[in-house]
Amino acid sequence: MQIFASGGFWFLEGILFVVVVLAFRAWMHDRGVPLPAWKWAVFLLWLGFAAFTIAFVGTSFGEGEPTAATRGGLLFGTAAVIGGAAAWRLLMRGREPGGRHTAG
Amino acid sequence: MGAIPPAEQGRPGARCRPRARRRGARRPAVTLAALLLLAAALAWGRTRPGPAVEPHVRAIFPAARTVAPRAGVWHAWNADGVTLGWAAPGRAGGYGGPLALVVGVDTLGRIAGARVVEQRETPTFWRLARIPERLEGLAGASLEEVGRGDRGLAAVSGATLSTRAVERSVRDAVTLVAGEQFDLRLPAPPRPFEFGLLEVTVLALFAAGLAAGRLRAPARRRLRWAAQLTGLVVLGFWKDSPITLAKLAGLFSGFLPDVRTGLAVWLLLAGFLVTSALRDRNLYCLYACPFGAAQRVVGLVGIRRVRVPPSAARLLEATRDIIVLGLLLAALVTLQPALAVYEPFAPLFSLRGETFQWVLLSVVLVASLAIPAPWCAFLCPMRTIERGIGDLRRAVRQRAVRRRAVRRRRRRGGVPAAAGGSLAATAPAPHRDAGRPPPRRPGETPC
Repeated sequence: MQIFASGGFWFLEGILFVVVVLAFRAWMHDRGVPLPAWKWAVFLLWLGFAAFTIAFVGTSFGEGEPTAATRGGLLFGTAAVIGGAAAWRLLMRGREPGGRHTAG
Repeated sequence: MGAIPPAEQGRPGARCRPRARRRGARRPAVTLAALLLLAAALAWGRTRPGPAVEPHVRAIFPAARTVAPRAGVWHAWNADGVTLGWAAPGRAGGYGGPLALVVGVDTLGRIAGARVVEQRETPTFWRLARIPERLEGLAGASLEEVGRGDRGLAAVSGATLSTRAVERSVRDAVTLVAGEQFDLRLPAPPRPFEFGLLEVTVLALFAAGLAAGRLRAPARRRLRWAAQLTGLVVLGFWKDSPITLAKLAGLFSGFLPDVRTGLAVWLLLAGFLVTSALRDRNLYCLYACPFGAAQRVVGLVGIRRVRVPPSAARLLEATRDIIVLGLLLAALVTLQPALAVYEPFAPLFSLRGETFQWVLLSVVLVASLAIPAPWCAFLCPMRTIERGIGDLRRAVRQRAVRRRAVRRRRRRGGVPAAAGGSLAATAPAPHRDAGRPPPRRPGETPC
């Protein structure tokens, strides 16, 4: 599993994160949802937590701890899903009724 | 019964009403049959012989050639007939059922060893309590030291019931040997009545439930939120002591903790059973259950409500009832209440539990985002117990109503004595409960 220790992996991961953030921004923009700084903070916090969950499961399996991976994944995964729902409600505040569906 | 009157035919609901009535009439009989089955299981479990003590006595005194019980105390002799020591069994109720061990004492009055003969604690609690290691630490202790409780058998937080059961078993065994062989009376350990914040909280939550019935809707809602959040914090995250099926199985099989040290468990069970017998919805589920509160809190952030189809809800409820009955039977036959544990409470409130409980917890909490209190509606064993009690209560009440109607008619002379003996021949007087289907349709949230 040398790929995880290589610089290329982290480069790809960085690209992925930038794509996710840009897609989020475009998606919210299309729906006419304003994005003040606190909404960015909420989104990034949730994204960081979701990434941590995936990393926890991956590294636990990698270190030969399947029980920790399963339980941690279930615990943090559930928290990420519930947190995601809470974040969604916060992010959708102030949405314009019609939105600007101008993608493309 | 069940035939649709001509006037009713073609009307909406004409087909389903008699079927619902038939189902409602059958349920008390099913509940009674289940109760009989449980009683038989308990009787069978009680009459089964316990595990043998002799191998454990021989393990404590490896040099013994002969071991034999006399007046409750095992004697161990070597090949020359010299007494090596004595051993006595001790037994107390732990979290998962009876916990029995045997303690050996040498001729100098020192502990020669202690071994667990029988235990039914859940693996999680057993690992946490580290009982075998702590029993090994008893070796060499004097009878007085054990009697005073100086040898590290104090309760472990998180496995209090298990460690207290071990402490009590050891003390009982040692007291027996000391009295029989050394003519020594060990002082009885102080067992104060524990009445703390947990017990006060339990009483306050039930009192809130009773008081809420007199309030208007907004105030009642606010009181319910306050009570549930208190229950979530105190009964859940702080004390981790919600009612579980294992505790009910422990109550039925007689393995609940001492009322002096486990008063909160008794209060919770009594509150649940009594209010289930008196009301359609018991006060524990509505006002005290910490897991119900957790689902409600998660439901606050839910995005879209999903309605479970009634057929699916009925299937889920029937599956739950069968699982609960099966687990209770298994727990009573084996006298192992811990077998009935399937609730996902331990992972949420103490981050412990088996993997299936973690999976169940995740599923239930995520489902709470879309379905109001899915655990309470479809999976909680307390719902099965509550419905069983409710069915019996309604059946008894209906019977009383019919009897009263018969008596009233007889007094008025409407029914001749020869024909009046039959209840079936008499139309029951209308009553708010008579012929009423169960109070809640399947799939409806209890909260």
